[in-house]
This record gives sequence, C-alpha cells and structure tokens, in this order.
Amino acid sequence: MSTTPTQVHANLTEEQVRQISGELAEPEWMLETRLEALEALGTLDMPKVIRTPGRDWTNLHDLDFEALVDPLNAAEEKDQFGPDDVDVLSWADALVEHEELVRKHFGSIVDPQENYLTALSTALFTTGTVIYVPEGVDAEDVTIRTEQNSQSLFNYTLVITEENSSVTILERQSTGTELEEEQYYSGIVEIDAGENSYVQYGSLQNLSEDSYCFTAKRGVTDTYATINWIEGNIGSKLTKTETSTVLEGDSSESQIVGAFYGHNDQHFDLDVKVWHRAEHTTADLVTRGVTDDVSRSVYEGVQDVGRDAWDTSSYQRENTLMLSDESEADASPKLIINNHDTEASHSATVGQIDEEDLLYMTSRGVTPRLARNMLVAGFFVPVLEEVAVDELREDLEALIQERLRD
Amino acid sequence: MSSEQDHLKETDTEARFDFKQEERSAVRSEKGLTEEVVRLISEDKDEPEWMLERRLRALKQYQAMPMPTDWPGQPDLSGLDVEEIVPYIRPDVDKREGVDDWDELPDDIKDTFEKLGIPEAERKALSGVGAQYESEIVYQNMQEQWEEKGVIFMNMDQAVKDHPEIVKEHFMTTCVPPSDNKFAALHGAVWSGGSFVYVPEDVTVEMPVQAYFRMNSEGMGQFEHTLIVAEPGSEVHYIEGCSAPKYGKHNLHSGGVEVFVKEGAHVQYSTVQNWSKNTYNLNTKRALVEEDATMEWISGSMGSKATMLYPCSILKGRNATDTHITIAFAGEGQDIDTGAKVYHNAPNTKSTIESKSISKDGGRTNYRGLVHIADGAEGSSTAVECDALMFDNESTSDTMPYMEIEESKVDVAHEATVGKIGDEDIFYLQSRGLDDDDAKKMIVAGFIEPITEELPIEYAVELNRLIELEMEGSLG
Repeated sequence: MSTTPTQVHANLTEEQVRQISGELAEPEWMLETRLEALEALGTLDMPKVIRTPGRDWTNLHDLDFEALVDPLNAAEEKDQFGPDDVDVLSWADALVEHEELVRKHFGSIVDPQENYLTALSTALFTTGTVIYVPEGVDAEDVTIRTEQNSQSLFNYTLVITEENSSVTILERQSTGTELEEEQYYSGIVEIDAGENSYVQYGSLQNLSEDSYCFTAKRGVTDTYATINWIEGNIGSKLTKTETSTVLEGDSSESQIVGAFYGHNDQHFDLDVKVWHRAEHTTADLVTRGVTDDVSRSVYEGVQDVGRDAWDTSSYQRENTLMLSDESEADASPKLIINNHDTEASHSATVGQIDEEDLLYMTSRGVTPRLARNMLVAGFFVPVLEEVAVDELREDLEALIQERLRD
Repeated sequence: MSSEQDHLKETDTEARFDFKQEERSAVRSEKGLTEEVVRLISEDKDEPEWMLERRLRALKQYQAMPMPTDWPGQPDLSGLDVEEIVPYIRPDVDKREGVDDWDELPDDIKDTFEKLGIPEAERKALSGVGAQYESEIVYQNMQEQWEEKGVIFMNMDQAVKDHPEIVKEHFMTTCVPPSDNKFAALHGAVWSGGSFVYVPEDVTVEMPVQAYFRMNSEGMGQFEHTLIVAEPGSEVHYIEGCSAPKYGKHNLHSGGVEVFVKEGAHVQYSTVQNWSKNTYNLNTKRALVEEDATMEWISGSMGSKATMLYPCSILKGRNATDTHITIAFAGEGQDIDTGAKVYHNAPNTKSTIESKSISKDGGRTNYRGLVHIADGAEGSSTAVECDALMFDNESTSDTMPYMEIEESKVDVAHEATVGKIGDEDIFYLQSRGLDDDDAKKMIVAGFIEPITEELPIEYAVELNRLIELEMEGSLG
C-alpha cells in the first residue's frame, strides 16, 4: 500500500503496442488486453516488497524504466522444443493452433494489471512459449532457452496440462550481446495444471550482471495435480522474482526448491508463496543461498492456509550462508493460518562457514581456499538433492562451481 | 502443587477482574486530545515547566503522525476514536503521592485491589507495590530494607518532582522518544501515573517489585509511564499487572515503558495483562541494554479487543543479552498482534525469543517480530521460536517475523510451527479418564508451561487460571 507514485512512461505509446501485436498477428482481444495494461501503467504501483518502518528492503522505484525499456528493438536467440506429442509453440503459432485455449488462460493466473511490472510485461511482450500437454501424455525434455540480445526483452510462458498428463520443462535465461547500457529482462509464467497432472518447471537465470530481472511465475493446481518449481538464480544485478502455487484442487501438491548465489553487488529479492485453498493439500518450500562481497538477499516466504483448507501440511526452510561481512541477508518467512486443521512449520537460518569444519579440513591438508569452496558447494547439496531433473541439477552445480573463488 | 491448589480456591478470578465500582474522580478531563487537556493534566500535577514543554511537543508530533494502517495483517483500529476517550481521571483520594497503608484508601478502591489480591501478594512475596487507579497511583510502598540501600520505587508523577535530574535525562529521550510512533507521541502528551524504579550500583533487589494498573471508568484512557534505571551491576525484577471491567464504550491503554539496563545489570520485566475485551492496548516498551547486561521480557497477553505490542531490546554494549518469553491468548473477538524486536548493535550480543500463542472461538493471534543484526555486531546470535496452537476453524494465527542481517559472523535461527490440538493426545487423556474439557485444559497447560515456569508462582497460577477461564469461555 505504498503511496509512492510510480513514474508514468512518457516514451511508450499505443502505436508501439499495436505494432508489436500486429507483427505477431494477434487477434483483437489480445491487443485489447495489452492496451488496457498499457493504460493502467499510470495508476499501478511496483510489486510489493518487504517494508519495515523507514525502509523498503528492495527499492524498485529508483529504477529508470523509461531508459531501460526499448519496446520495438527486442532481439533474442531462442530455442523451444519438446517431444512430438506435446505442443511447444511460439505465440504466433499458438494463436493459430489453440486460440480458444490461449484466450481462456492468458492472464488468468497472473493478473496483467497486478502491478506496474506485470502490466509492462503484458503490454510489451514480444516473445514466449505456449506449452500444451494433451490428456494422458507423459513428456520430458521440454526445453526453452532464451538468450537476450537487446536492451529489453519481455517473455511470456503459458503452460496448460490436461488430465493425467505429465511434463518436465526446463527454461534458461542468459544474455547474448552485452550492451553498453543496462538491460532489462521480464518474464511471466502461468501454469494451469489439470486434474491429476504433474508439472515440473525448472528455471535457471544466468543473465549478465548489468541487467535487471523481473519474473512472476505462478501456477494453479486442479484436484490431485502437482506443480514442482526449481528456481536457480545466479545472474543479474537486481532480481525481483516471485514463484508461487495456488493449491486450488483437493489433494494437490507443490514443492518449490530454490538456490541462489550472489556476489559483487548483486541483489536478489525472492518471493516464494503457496496458497492452500483446498482440502488435503501439501506444500514444501526449500531455499538455500549464498551472499558474498557486497551482495544482498531478501527472502520472503509465505504459507497461506485458507479457511476451507482442511488437513493442510505446509513446510518451509530457508538457509543463507554469508561469506563476507559486507553482504546482507534478510529473511521473512510468514505463516498465515486460517484453518486449524493444519500442520505447518517454517524455519530460517543465517550463518557463516563453520570454523570448526574449516579447521578440520585444513588440518587434513586441504588448503583454506579449497576447504571453503568445498563447504560452500556442500551447503547447496540438500537443495540440489531435491532437484529431480538431472540436467538442471548438473547445470546448477556447474554454475555454482564457476562462482567459487580460486 | 498444593499451594497452587490453595491459591486457586482462594481466588475466583472472574469475580476478581470483571467488577465495577462507581466512578470517583476529583478531576476529570474533557474527551479528546487537545492542548487544553494537556495543560490541565500538567497543571493538576503541578509539573515543572520542562515536562509541560515535553508534553506539548509530543502532542504536536501526535497530531502530525498518521494512524498506522498499512502493516500487513495488523489489527483493525477503526473502532478506536481517540477523540471519544477521556485521557485523564484523577481519583479523589486524600494523598496525591499514594498512601502506604491499604487501610487509608477509600473503601471502594481498597476493595478493588483486595479483590485483585494485590495486598495479599505484597505481604507474601513482593519487595514493593504500586497500585494505580485510573490515572494516578493511589498506593505506594517499598520495604524499608531496600529503601535503606538507596532503591527508589515511587510513582512517576512524584519522581518528576523528587528526582528531576534522573527523570530529565531518561524520560522519553533516548529510549522511547515520542517520535517513535503515533501512540508513543500520544503517551508523551497525556501520560499520567506509572512507576519509577531506580536501583543503585551493585544492589540486588531480591524480591520482585510490582505495579498494578486498574481502569475502572467507562471510555477512559490510561497512559501510565514506567521508567526503570538499573545502575551497573544491579538487579531487579519488575512485575506489572493490569485489568479493567468491561463497558459499552472502548477504553484505550497506551502505556510507555523505558528500561535502562546499565553495564552488567539484570532487569526482568514481567507483565500479565488482562484488559477487558473492549480495550485497545497499544503500548511501547523498550530497553537499552549496555555491555554485559541482561534484559528479560516476560509477557502474558490475555485480554483486550486489540493489542499491538512488540517489546524491544536494543543491545548496545558487547555481550548484552536479551530474552523474550511471550504468550498470547485470543478468544472471541480478540486480535492480539504481539511479538518482539531486538536490535543487535554490538558484538557478541545474544537474544532468544520464545513465543507461544493460542487462538480459540474466532480469536486471532499474530507473532510480529524483528531481529536486526547491525554491521559490526560480530559473534552475535539469535534464536527465535514461535509455536501456535489453534482450537477451531474460526480462529486464525499468523507469524510474521523479519530478520535483517548485515553481519556475516552471526548465528541466526528462526523456527515456527502451527498445529491444531492433537486428537490423539486428547484421546489418550480421555482413555485415562479425563473428560474432553479437562484434557484440552491439560494440553494447553503443558503447551504454555515453558512460559509459566519463568513467572513467580502467584503469576503463574493467575495466568493458568485466566487461561482456564478463557477455555471455559466464562470471561466476558
């Protein structure tokens, strides 16, 4: 409920939005949604960040979006493919093949006008993927790789799974061409998991450290459905990201596994949320991260148990390892419980490398630097073990290894 | 536990709290917060000019500040109309500084405190007692042995006159300035009564001192100020209790507590508050803790319509230690938003926060906490543990902790659990012959035991009794 006014984009016009929509040969209803989002920019605020009296833990108002956003010059290198029985489509193709499906779901989970950044994304996105998994299909290896080659890039991903299907999706974001100016990446992901379907969605963000990154990833589960998220955040200068599941169907489940590693002056603001809205739902949120140099992490985890969410199980763990005195790690794990038939817990810790472990290893002849690196790598193991997708786990491990100092 | 049983028999807690006396006032201010009211209070107390100036400055700050409304999940304060509150009622007792013999009090006031069991507790277990009725202390006594050692325990109004040098230095300056929040500013403008405790260097006050605050009149506000100065190496345990009967109009309690814990000193501050369920309880309590000193907060929050209270320790000196033990119980129509704040501003400081809450019959409890570890506070550690027990599906319970960590050489742990009362536990106890109600009471007593065992026995018994009455739904 911040009252700080948000800057209104002076350099964004209806014509630009019409041009983007036209190039994608979009139907009228989609253009309308974009134009409404554009118009709402003037009244919308930034996404919520943790506030305590006198302090915003992440300051988004200072970012100069007018300078960061260059709507008509989006450029990217993109791979998106999957097995034959799954539709992995660009937006243009999706609108030809599944217009009604897209119309039904687009913007239904992440409200285009939820905040300034979702509206900006909706109005300006030029690229994205629609993944449609028909009834009964089991699919692995859906891969989306996005390499940003322009100052700004807006990406939109929509996943729809029908009854009794399953799918594993890996998405990677990286920077191809690094520019003189700062860059901005924005991604919205919506997942509608049909009855008894299983979605595993892994994402690995490794953007340039001169870029700003905003993502909103949200899924809704039908009865017996599962959405598991894997969140790896390595790159960017500042990331504001939300990963969340609305457990709408009875007996549905969600796991959110996150790992981040900040160094230099990186800033990660990570929201992890689950809304229990039905009976017998289960959630497990696990995040581990490291802050080094003058980097900073802000973690907010919310387990919200609604009035009708009988027999809820909900668990959350967050651990931060601080490698330097100048880094900062803030955490706020919240429990909001409106149904008493609930087993819920959360825990959060912040600490540094254990001196005794270090001494033990150096006394066995390991150099202090190597010992430290081994302990940092070891710190991530409990999270990596939860990453059920081998390929993603290996990539994440490799990126963590790269970041360790010689 | 025979003494506990006896005590239970002796005290009928419901009758003890929820009775009313006819209002008796010598001076009664107008409703609302105006400069005239502030001047009236100051004049009626014959205060020095500097205190009036502080009041007027606080009033300006109060008027300039907005009501807190944008905290996530904060209690609804829309039913509170400060302009309808009578901020000052001086009871018509003969001696303004408080009598030191219960028999010198007017019968109805004496009767009030007798019913609350305060004189008896004083005889049994306390070093000193202060009793406040409406806006002023009416009874004040301190055992001679402590007075001889230079311990001062007097009402705050008197301390302004008798010890201006200590009060001037400490009163709403560095610990709780009126600018801290809207209700601290309100308090600074219209404060009245409360306790002043001064413990000289290296003196240990072995038995607790206690103050009891009773609001009797309808629609009034009580704004007592407590200032505790514990000189280096000293030790004191202060207990406050509060109650008020229930009326149709809302009452407001907005106390201010400032504790100065100097080098190596140890202060324990225990509260059992049982305001009536139409009272808004909006307090500011804070301790400044110096090197090697220890501050312990123990709070039982039972009554009130809405409570917003987050006792705070600022650990300023090396090796300073803080302990928070809090218990909240919210029944029908109650919203208890409470928790703890700790600022670790020096190396090797330690804090532990243990919070338990119970919600029942539509009550809402919230743990709201802030642990801040400043850059340079190396070697600091904090452990926060919150447990919530919920009885039924009308009740809610949230935990909203914040941890701001700017220093790497620290050990920070937060844990919270929420659970319903265990069907298996109840079944087990029932199979041993207990009925459902007794089984639930026993489970709750076990749940809060870590808290009650830290309290003096009289308070532990009272807390248990209050919770039992809440469980029976018999407290109004």
